[in-house]
Amino acid sequence: MSEAPALATRGLVAGYERDLPIVRGIDLTIGKGELVAILGPNGAGKSTYVKAIAGTVPCFGGAIMLDGKDITAMPLHQRISAGLAFVPQTENIFASLSIGENLQLAADVLPKALRAARLEKMWAMFPDLASRPALRAGQLSGGQRQMLAVARALIVEPQVLILDEPSAGLSPKIVSSVFAMLQSINRSGVTILLVEQNVKAALAIADRGVILVEGQLRHEGNAAQLATDPLLAELYLGAQPEKASA
Amino acid sequence: MIAQMLMDGLIAGSMIGLGAIGITLTYSILRFANFAHGELVSWAAYFALSVSTALGTALPGLSASLGPFSFGWSLPLGLIAAMALTGLLALFADTLLFARLRARGASTIILVMAGFGAALTLRSLLEFIFTSKPMYFTSALQIARPLFAGARATPDQLLGLGLAVALVAAVHLILTRTAAGRAMRAVSENQALAGLAGIDVAKTIRLVWLFGASLAAVAGVMAGLLVQIRPYMGHDLLLPLFAAAILGGIGSVPGAMIAGLIVGLAEAACVNFIGAEWRAAVSFFILVAILLLRPQGLFGKAGA
Ligand SMILES: Nc1ncnc2c1ncn2[C@@H]1O[C@H](COP(=O)(O)OP(=O)(O)O)[C@@H](O)[C@H]1O
Ligand SMILES: [Mg+2]
Repeated sequence: MSEAPALATRGLVAGYERDLPIVRGIDLTIGKGELVAILGPNGAGKSTYVKAIAGTVPCFGGAIMLDGKDITAMPLHQRISAGLAFVPQTENIFASLSIGENLQLAADVLPKALRAARLEKMWAMFPDLASRPALRAGQLSGGQRQMLAVARALIVEPQVLILDEPSAGLSPKIVSSVFAMLQSINRSGVTILLVEQNVKAALAIADRGVILVEGQLRHEGNAAQLATDPLLAELYLGAQPEKASA
Repeated sequence: MIAQMLMDGLIAGSMIGLGAIGITLTYSILRFANFAHGELVSWAAYFALSVSTALGTALPGLSASLGPFSFGWSLPLGLIAAMALTGLLALFADTLLFARLRARGASTIILVMAGFGAALTLRSLLEFIFTSKPMYFTSALQIARPLFAGARATPDQLLGLGLAVALVAAVHLILTRTAAGRAMRAVSENQALAGLAGIDVAKTIRLVWLFGASLAAVAGVMAGLLVQIRPYMGHDLLLPLFAAAILGGIGSVPGAMIAGLIVGLAEAACVNFIGAEWRAAVSFFILVAILLLRPQGLFGKAGA
């Protein structure tokens, strides 16, 4: 490939204490426009890995490359202007602010001339949110919160969107609409890195899946092949049983 | 008599409210009770005094009384300078002390102790430079004018009251209608998420110091104008300021102002009905009562 990958980590070591790294040397390359699912049992370090990429957890070694640029030492907010967006699993909206303020503050980092148009675009994409911009975000249901969190991340038109278990705690019907939305965002050209416990649903929309165990990459492969891989069943046996349909 | 008590309470309360807004902002965003805020109030009064005295000496026209007020242009100019200088002082203290502790992940109690230390140092410096002798912005005496139902107030006092109300409205608008205000509220709720939303958290924290310190400066100049300037003036205001910030609900600007007025009125009522020697106990009583009965304050969110 001549062009730089959308996102890559090289020997990434990260965690909460330097002498007890959770992520222990992960090499992963994600091409432009790809949708990659990160799977693995609970406590494998999936959240820690994506938080380290986003910058909310410190890196102790290795490198993170965004579109060929080394962002390992970049402060949080600069990674955003560099084209990265992250939707954490919990606390991913400002509950004390209104829906409109949640989007507006994310748009505030854009050049003035772009803000109004981007807001309009998000309102058009999420009509549920557009109908009541003054509502306090803390009053939204789980699915609507997830929509707001995604809208907040998308408003800057990131090149790479990272999501940590966006379907956690949502009803099956809402889950399928979240996945449909992620698929259409990906088709519009955004590279997506998706952490999921909902293995079947994630692999159904992903190009590729990687399996993380104890802070290291255990296995990676084409999504369709991975979906029938016995290793997957083995890893999840006794962990969270799979119940969602793809 | 009652009307005068209300008037005195409102005037003292608006001063307390202004200081409490600074406390509530820094508390909710920096996440610790900054006991050095009182010293920002005192330093601001001395900054304004130094600048206005220098201006009045250099250009005597500037100290000629403005209309009905006891001071000339040198004081408003001194106030503006004091807002800037107090902001710089707060940034200096943050860079030297608090930011380093934050970077090390220091616990709240360490930050509070550091604030105590900073307060002590700043206060001693004032005593060293200016001595503890009370000072005044002007020597002009003002006659209190009759207002309503026998209540009287000086033009300076009414100006202070009006300024306080205008500033509360301005701060409220800044917080709710501007990008900087949204960023401050976002950082106050969740620093990591604010960073993920593209907000420069370090810059926002510096802005909060500047903002809180400028409000402390207005409170300090008002207190200096209406009462007197002493190194302990801010320290003595600390308990009423915290009582108002907590009564109003940490993070609530209108809450801090309303609670400031309540504290001021309660103090005035205490002086009127119980005795002036009990005045200082009023804030303590309010603080303890609110912490026991409704720790989130009148306008705060439960669990916040
Ligand atoms: N804030 C934290 N501080 C310390 N350790 C943590 C923290 N969050 C998670 N961990 C630990 O990191 C390991 C991986 O957790 P996590 O990345 O959340 O896994 P996953 O997302 O794959 O379930 C777990 O052992 C967990 O206990
Ligand atoms: Mg997780």
